[in-house]
This record gives sequence, C-alpha cells and structure tokens, in this order.
Amino acid sequence: MSLNPQVAAVTRIRVRYAKGNALRFIGHLDLQRLWERLLRRSKLPVRYSQGFHPRARLNLASALPLGFISDEELLDFWLDSPCPLTEIQARLAEAAPPGLKIHTVQQIDPKETALQVQMKASEFTVSFYDPPAATELEQKIAWLLTQEVINKTRRKKTYNLRPLVLDMQVINTLAGERELWMRLLAEPAATGRPDDILEELGFPNTAYLVRRTRVILG
Amino acid sequence: MTQKSLQQRIERILPTVTKPGRYVGGELNQVVKPWDSVQTHVALVFPDIYDLGQSNLGMALLYDRLNQHADIAAERAFSPWVDMETAMRNEEIPLFSLENKRPLIDFDIIGVSLPYETLYTNFLNILDLAGIPLYSKARDTHHPLVIAGGQAVFNPEPVAAFVDAFAIGEGEEMVFEIVAAHQSWIASKGSREELLTRLAGIPGVYVPALVAVKYHADGRVQAVESVHPAMKLPVDKRILAKLPSPLNRFLVPNVEVVHERVSVEIMRGCTRGCRFCHAGMVNRPIRERSVDEVLTAIQAGLDQTGYEEVSLLSLSSSDYSEIIPLIEGLKALLIERQVDISLPSLRIESFSEDLMDVLQSLSPGGGFTLAPEAGTERLRKVINKPLSDAELMRTVRSVFQHGWKSLKLYFMIGHPQETLSDIEAIADTCKAVLQEGRQIAGGRAKVHAGVSTFIPKPHTPFQWSAFDDLTAIETKLALLREAFRGTKIKMTWNDPQMSLLEAWLSRGDRRLAPVIESAWRKGARFDAWGDQFRIEPWQAAFAECGLDPDFYSSRERGLNEVLPWDHINAGVRKAFLLDDYQLSLAGEIRPDCRERCYACGILASFNHLRLAQPGGGWKCP
Repeated sequence: MSLNPQVAAVTRIRVRYAKGNALRFIGHLDLQRLWERLLRRSKLPVRYSQGFHPRARLNLASALPLGFISDEELLDFWLDSPCPLTEIQARLAEAAPPGLKIHTVQQIDPKETALQVQMKASEFTVSFYDPPAATELEQKIAWLLTQEVINKTRRKKTYNLRPLVLDMQVINTLAGERELWMRLLAEPAATGRPDDILEELGFPNTAYLVRRTRVILG
Repeated sequence: MTQKSLQQRIERILPTVTKPGRYVGGELNQVVKPWDSVQTHVALVFPDIYDLGQSNLGMALLYDRLNQHADIAAERAFSPWVDMETAMRNEEIPLFSLENKRPLIDFDIIGVSLPYETLYTNFLNILDLAGIPLYSKARDTHHPLVIAGGQAVFNPEPVAAFVDAFAIGEGEEMVFEIVAAHQSWIASKGSREELLTRLAGIPGVYVPALVAVKYHADGRVQAVESVHPAMKLPVDKRILAKLPSPLNRFLVPNVEVVHERVSVEIMRGCTRGCRFCHAGMVNRPIRERSVDEVLTAIQAGLDQTGYEEVSLLSLSSSDYSEIIPLIEGLKALLIERQVDISLPSLRIESFSEDLMDVLQSLSPGGGFTLAPEAGTERLRKVINKPLSDAELMRTVRSVFQHGWKSLKLYFMIGHPQETLSDIEAIADTCKAVLQEGRQIAGGRAKVHAGVSTFIPKPHTPFQWSAFDDLTAIETKLALLREAFRGTKIKMTWNDPQMSLLEAWLSRGDRRLAPVIESAWRKGARFDAWGDQFRIEPWQAAFAECGLDPDFYSSRERGLNEVLPWDHINAGVRKAFLLDDYQLSLAGEIRPDCRERCYACGILASFNHLRLAQPGGGWKCP
C-alpha cells in the first residue's frame, strides 16, 4: 500500500508562506494537519511515512503561537519524484485554504539539517487595539532592555526571558500607526515568546495583534 | 453597534478562550455571500459545539443545497463552549454566524437541528444568546422565524412552545418551500399569524401554535386538535422519492472536529425492524444510492478535502445490496490515495466472508464492531434482532481469522422482558468471544463491551413500554462490572441518569416546556456531555412545575391512550406498531421486510412518490 521506500530521487522542497487573519486562531498542530491535507489536495508526489496510516513528511521551521499571524513561515516537505518548481507553486496555491498564501517554493539540498535546528531568530511587530503613548512604550522597552534577569513562568517552568530578547523598538507604520517591533532568539531550546514579553510590559493578550515578519535561519 | 465593531469585539475575546478556531469560520469551501446580495438569510444552527456540529451530515447537506440558490444565503452557528459563553455574556456579544459574523437576530430564518433530545437546553441557550424570545408566542414580525428539524422532532411536543414551525422528516425539499413561503409573506407585509398559517400549508410542516392539546385530569393526553383550517392533522412526514445528489461542496474545518472524513450516505432507511430502533422506524422506506453516484461523490470529496478517511453512511451498511461491488469499485481509489475506509453499522447476519476479505485488505489496522444488543437468543427475539449464539460465534471467529485483533460489542440493558440472566449472558458472551479471539489471535485479542441503556422511543413498537427502573439499571451495571472483574474485557457504559433525562424528554408532552426552561435557568446545558450533565437542575425543575418525571419515563402507556406524538405520522401506522409490540410480548419476531411486505404503512402513504420516480432505489418488495 505504501510507496517504495527505496526511491532514490528524493526532492526536498521549501515553501515560504504567509499565515493570514483567517488562520489567526489556528494552532500549530492544526496547522500541521492543514498542511497535510493541502498536500493531499495538491496531488503532488509527496513522500509519505510507512505503515497503516501514512502521513506526509513535513517540517515546520518554528511553531507560531495561537492568535498570531505571519508574513513569513517556512516549511519543508519531500517529493518522491521531481516536479518543476513553477508547477509545485501553482498546485500548492490552488490547494491552499483561505488565509494561507504561498510566497515562494525552492528546492533544498536533502542533506541540510532540519529547519527547526537552523532557526536562529524571529522578528515580530505588535499592533495595539488601543495604542499606548510613544513615551510609555519607550520607557517600558528601556526598562526591559536594562534588566539582566526577568524570570517568567510558563507551563510550570521558570525561565529567564531577558536573554531571549535581542532587540526591541517602537516603530511607526506607513499608515501612521505606532507599533512595537522585536527580534527574539528562536533556537531549539531558547525561543522567545512575544506574548510573555508583552505580559511583562503590562499588556494582556486581548490588547494586541502579533505578526511575525521574518524568520532568520543560521 | 456597527458590524465592524462586533467583529473586532469578537476578535478581542478569542485569545482568552479554549480552541478559538471554533468561532471564526473561514474554512476551505465555506460559502460567504455579501450580506445585501440575497433576499433570504438562513442561519443553520447545531446546538452543540462546532467540533460536533460541523461533522453533522444533515447540516452540511442543507448548507450546500441552500447556498446553491442565488437569492438565499445559509450561514452556520453553533453553541459556544462554556468559557466562550461567559466571555460573550460579559462583553454583551450576541450569538453570531461564522460566515458574515452577523448577530443571529438579523437573520430571516433560524433553522435548528435537533437530532437528539439532550440538546434542548442548548437550543434555549442559543435563542437567549441571540436575543430572541424563548417562546414562539412572544415573537413578532421583527424576529427571525425559528424552524426545527431532525430526528428528535418526530415528537415535537416537549419543545413545541419554543419553535414556530417544525419540519418533520427529510428536509431537502421542504426547506425551499419554507423559504418560498417566507419570501411571499414578506412581500405581502403580513402578520406573524399569516406567516404561520402559510407554513402550516406546506406538507410536512407542523405549526404547534395552531394545534391545541387537551389533558385528562391525571395528565394523560385526551385529545390533540387543530385550531386552524390550514393546519391539517396528522402531519405526514416528508420523504424524498429518490435520494438527492450527495454533498457537492465539502467544507474542511481548520480545527480538529469529531469526524474528519469524506462521509457519503449510501442508503437511507432500514428494513430490519429492530423494535428499539427509532431511526429504523422513522426513516423508512429504504432507498439506495447507485454505486456510481457514491463513487463519484467520494472521489470529489477526497479531491476537495484531502481527507485520509472515507465513511459510508447508512443504518445498516452490509444490507446495501451492492456493497461488494461498491467496495471493490472503491479499492483502487483508496489504495492510490492511501485512504482508510470506515463502514459503520454492519449486521452480523448479512456480513459475508467476501466483505471481510476486502475490508481487511483495505484497513488492516483498525478494530471491528458488532452489535448483538442483547445477551440471549430469547431477548434478541423480543427486540426483533434475532441472532443465534452459534451465528454470532461464527462471525466472531471469522473476524479474528481475518486478522482483526480488537472487537467491540455493543449491548443495551433495560430491554422490555429482560431478566438478570439476560445480563449474565452478556458477560458470558463477551468472555466466550474473548476466548475465541485468543485461540485465533493469541494474547493480542481484545474485547470491549459497550453498554447503553434502552430508551423506549416514540414511533417504535416499544413506545408503550416503560424505561427501566434506575436502581435496576445500576444493579445490572454492577453485575456486569463484577462479572468482568479480573478479565481483560474492557467495559464502558452510558450514564443511566442521562438516559433517564432522554427518556423524559423523548416521551414528553407540551407541559415539559416550562420544565426545560427552568432546568436551563438553573444552569443545565450540554446535557449530552458527561462532564457537564447534572440531573439535579432537572429534578428541581420538575418539582417546581408540579410534574412527576416518572409519569413520562416509568409508566407503561395504555394501548388505547392518545400518545403525545400520535398526531405526527412517521409513515409507520400505529396499528402496525401495536401488532409488532404484541408479537414481542409473545417472543415472536417479524422478519426483514425486504423479502415480504408487512404493510407497515409506508407504501400506503408514499407509493405515489415511488411510482412517480421509478429509479429511486426503493427496496420495498
């Protein structure tokens, strides 16, 4: 029933895509299932696992917390036989649900390490439903950046949040909105969460919308 | 409040609730029509959470069919889970549709699906969250029209006060007639009463406000009479002469729901005549879909969804006359797409070796389910699901020989004429099955007993029977638990108190409306959820309304009594049911009516439809 595991010509494909507002409240596990079904709908010669319940082999760079949107997400999958990149892109775009936009598709050396291992950092912007004054934001950032240790507890584990923040600034968008920009460490065992930082700055998760703007690989 | 600000307010509370993806819509193949582009807005409501409701095939069918019409938009709404309800009430956010995020009160028609009775409090909660008056009589021309349909409304009386009109039977054609009646009523600028009388003229539609019920002093129904010439009694259920085309647009949820699979109905109705089975009685006649139509639908469904599983739905899949050709025809597609198949509701006696061969080759991993329903041959005759112990063991042997390791057996307790030796026989049967399995499959053989409580349902031959005594049920469950102690047989069972509630609600009359309302006001909701259900608000509500719940559940009904649902004609005559009930008392069976007609009443009522549609796939002889 499963495809021949001995197939030699394995192609590794990397997709850059955006996760828009329609998928804002879709979590990481649901996103994985969404991708599996998207790939099935695309009818590309996707490589599946063996066994009674074959599943597409997928590799997402970095989990995006529930409630966030993103301009740039990365995902690798594998094909059992080669296919022109333009066709791959077209078929993925055709099969994509509302809110998921395929930016680019490229072929990757199959020997490259897993995407999660390559992850170094992520950049985010935060827009506030009721934007605070610029000075207030500046002061909060300045305070945070001068700390050495900010202990935070998530799922009963305490960690130091401060070294995960690489940079933070107040920015003004083209539309004239005041937003917060941050670059956070995103290494396998040290990934900064914007919501934890915002909570530390006094903003509950009902006060803002976080957008990942960039993922940085090592 | 502007539409934009409602949407923003919803988005703001979503980060605070569990699984917010339930409340956002936006799925692949959702249909969103610009609000002002259509004449009639229909909200299809399933009064449980998205995870369940979105898997309901009836909802999906109506959504698909209504949205194919240019001047109708159908949108979806479900019950918010308790945390979302709290957040919505705190922020004064009304219940909204998933597509356009419009408050339900903006819709013309609210169509509520009521497949089972334990949704009634959720239904009231939905009306309340939408800001729609609970009672039909309190609504005016500005309020949406509230329609209810589904299997539970074959006895509409307990919720009659909350519903403007019921759609009895198969809704695929009726919904358009209801919409048309609504549209012409709008054009006429008529009163609410005029709307109701227009609806009463549609075959299959029951308008309870146009019907009066009189009671005897002891609470039994004395008479049910129409109070308006437009409302003719009895109300004959609607059926389709030929099954409509299967779903042509499959919506793909983004968050996990209970059934993630391409479900295609292969057959409607059942001819077996199990006496406990509501679905088997109210969904007659039996109509099959052609193999080609099923195959085309499955292919389209897989293409559209990317699902990993296909399910063939019917009340008794192995009775589908083309089951082997169908599965053979599916085989290549399933293998090519690496898709699993599930085939629920297999009958032990119609289950052939050939079918087992092909199923095992397609889905070698899963478990296997059989439903003997009772432990002894005698009791299986009483409930008209005759099966000899030898036949059962032969099938069981064959299942294990084909390679399945895990077998689930479904039983009911509390059947009429049941004794403790019938209960002991359930345990003995399971043990014998496990022993058989071990001889064939060794230590990996597993047996799971699923035990539920029998509820005497309206429109079945057991409608006159009583629900078993709660203490007796507990004794029987304890006996089974004890019998399985130390064996490797796993047993699961339904909460008998939940079954008791279902008995009250399914066998009730109009006087239950204030009881349901009171239980809801005392906090009852999600009564079908083990972790939410509590019997106490219901007991308090009955006491408050001065009604004895045992009157509904524990009383054998007199054979000459007017039953609260007698004015709803499900197609099977009361005289036939009575005859069948008396056969059961004598321990006699009535064979499958595919071979011979026993004049249940279906052909008398609907033969004209059959003659008009000769290719309808009817299996009446």
